[in-house]
Amino acid sequence: MKKKISLIAREQKRLYTGFLIAAVALFALTTLYTNFNPMVLVRNGDAFWSFITEDFLPPALPKASSIPGVFSSVLVTLALAMSSTTIAAILAFFVSLFGSEKVSPFPRGAKYVRGFATFLRNIPALVWAFILFSSLGIGTGVGFVALCITSFAFMIRAFVETMEDVSQDCVESLQAVGASFPQRVAQAILPSCLNGFLSWFLYCIEVNIRASTIVGMVGGGGVGLTLFSYIKGFRYDIALSIILLVAAMVIVVDRITAKLREEILK
Amino acid sequence: MDPILKFDRVSKHYPNGVHALKEVSFEVREGEFLSIIGPSGSGKSTVLRSINRLIPISGGSVYLDGEPVSEKKGKELRCLRRKVGMIFQNYNLVYSLSVLQNVLHGCLGYMSGLKGILGCYSEEDKLRAIGLLEELGMKQFCYNRAADLSGGQKQRVGIARAIMQQPKLLLCDEPIASLDPSSAKTIMDLLKEMTHKRNIACIVNLHQLDVALKYSTRIIGLSKGEVVFDGPPECLTDEMIERIYGTSRENLMLGGGNEKKDIVDCA
Amino acid sequence: MMSNTRVMEQPVVRSRKGKISVACSYRNRFIPGFLAAVVVLTVLSLLYLDIDWLKLASRVPEIGEVFWELVHFDFSNMDVIFSSMLETVSIAVLSLLYSLILGVLFGMFAARNIFRVTWLSVLTQSFFTFLRAVPTPVWVLLMLVCLGMGPEAGVAGLCVHTTAFFTKSFAQSFESISEETLEALEVTGTGRLSIFTNAVLPAAFSQIVAWTGMRLETNFSECAILGMVGAGGVGFVISRNLQGYEYGTAGLAIFLVFLVAYGIERVFVRIKKKL
Repeated sequence: MKKKISLIAREQKRLYTGFLIAAVALFALTTLYTNFNPMVLVRNGDAFWSFITEDFLPPALPKASSIPGVFSSVLVTLALAMSSTTIAAILAFFVSLFGSEKVSPFPRGAKYVRGFATFLRNIPALVWAFILFSSLGIGTGVGFVALCITSFAFMIRAFVETMEDVSQDCVESLQAVGASFPQRVAQAILPSCLNGFLSWFLYCIEVNIRASTIVGMVGGGGVGLTLFSYIKGFRYDIALSIILLVAAMVIVVDRITAKLREEILK
Repeated sequence: MDPILKFDRVSKHYPNGVHALKEVSFEVREGEFLSIIGPSGSGKSTVLRSINRLIPISGGSVYLDGEPVSEKKGKELRCLRRKVGMIFQNYNLVYSLSVLQNVLHGCLGYMSGLKGILGCYSEEDKLRAIGLLEELGMKQFCYNRAADLSGGQKQRVGIARAIMQQPKLLLCDEPIASLDPSSAKTIMDLLKEMTHKRNIACIVNLHQLDVALKYSTRIIGLSKGEVVFDGPPECLTDEMIERIYGTSRENLMLGGGNEKKDIVDCA
Repeated sequence: MMSNTRVMEQPVVRSRKGKISVACSYRNRFIPGFLAAVVVLTVLSLLYLDIDWLKLASRVPEIGEVFWELVHFDFSNMDVIFSSMLETVSIAVLSLLYSLILGVLFGMFAARNIFRVTWLSVLTQSFFTFLRAVPTPVWVLLMLVCLGMGPEAGVAGLCVHTTAFFTKSFAQSFESISEETLEALEVTGTGRLSIFTNAVLPAAFSQIVAWTGMRLETNFSECAILGMVGAGGVGFVISRNLQGYEYGTAGLAIFLVFLVAYGIERVFVRIKKKL
């Protein structure tokens, strides 16, 4: 048998092949399990079309009396994202100091701090919202706490990684100088990691703007709830204008955070 | 005269099973300029870091100024650490702060409470820091960000920070390994001069054998965690070098500054 | 080795009171203002939200009770939980794979350096920016209206957002290939499409794998919550059981969600290390 001349390193080729085989196998397995048939989408093409042209377009404004309500709900969503991210960031900063073996004054506890954060992080925000709804009742406050929990956990991980990347060396040198733990935090970790922390904070705001819309849908208030009620009420044309509003909100916030990040990392 | 530092059968096991130090014993007296040489992984860094307990030791004891290091905790440990200055291969500065702030970090061990946290240093300390920078030829850079300096300049800031502590003992962990040959010479000259003037004992980890021979008053050779040589540079014979590095002298690069390090790393 | 032009010589500076200043002469003056703005905005937000903290705090002990109930796992509905979990994972994987293909396709259009048609890339990018700005559950809800209950709606809805994400990130990866390489191939007379398949795609492969792994995590957690807004899957099991006070079953389902999410994270941390 003639052997083909390989163009890439064997190691890499094995990786590519493994990736492809895994993808194909997963595709086959999951398609079988769910009986998903992409043709359904094509077959329902005309249903899509009529939905888009008849129910969806053109976008309609809600009743004039409820327009201020829509705008204040957008404000609620924005305020929810902003405040929960800031509170979570402050808490996460203090906790993350204890989450790295190299920085924490109690290196043995670091593993448990990180484990706790991993646990909180890997349960989606909406699940937290539901757990809290069943204990605290429905409301904006609960949405706030649910958003706080996930962004808190996410930022612990991000902050710990930033600290280990950036300030491990200078923490060691301040330790050698005989500086106390609060001195090390204020004089070494904070100045060297602040930019990194703020960059992660901005990322979290982006994520939380989306998340607070979703949490709103199930009872956290804000524009998500407004949108959800129009969809449930079959007013798709009004829903479309609110979707456009949400998209505009998210895009504007993304633009602003991108600009701010540029300034911070200058 | 009492020794400043005494190692008494110190050993260290790392949790991953590496036996870094095996019953290491030696003493260091005032005004000595001691070089520790040996191949990578022979325990040089561990020796230095066990002196100020950046690494806790597993057996034996280290005496600093007659006091046992391993029993100290909290405040006492901080007091002890401020007697020992340290210089690092990667400078370990806080790069987003100014040169002057980095030097003033040397006083943190003497400050307590909010002042140290907020970095409100006294005017005398500031003048002393500026004086030190002047002595090292760095005064004009004192308001630059540490990140913007060149390697040799960063290491000079590192020296200033260590001297700022008014230490009795200076530990240098491969101070010139990341520097070009000419900065390396400047740094070694400065180290020798500064410590000699202040009568500070100095322990330097080195990969460069020629540098060790030229500057030190005494050399300790480490191999696989054991002291195999301890004496003045004149007594370091070829057989000794062979025992330390496990290879004969011809296989070692002895001429220039930095290249040799790589060779030893490979060996 | 002078690293940049910011190094400059300066005399010792004293403040008005005669104290020697210590801070850098060059500082990012933007950050203090930014921090102040964040604090002000947060306080304003909290005032605007007007949360009844006292009421919230008084109910805190109930969280403990709910958690206590949640950890008393009820294994009697294991089969339902398990099959819904499998469905969720399958939907997440399927939507990921379909979007992977679509993402490479649209990423090709969106990248400026493949076809060199500016209006095409601008159009593609702005369209997908819009799709990405709308949260996934909204798309899924709309798909549910069109297609009815079933995995089709879930896959299609997730695909919208995932494809938009992939298009943007793949285009970024494609554009990061150096202009010289492309020019070198162009002068040999290679066609655009074969430049793409032979040079750009292999170069971006490791990044594509990294993006995919990152997205699988997101897709799974998105998929897990879809049930809560009205679609099927494990989210539906969780929300129905929580609302029906079947805490044992809900707790087990939540724990499973955690385990799968954690597993995906670990696997991709390892793969990332290898790449």
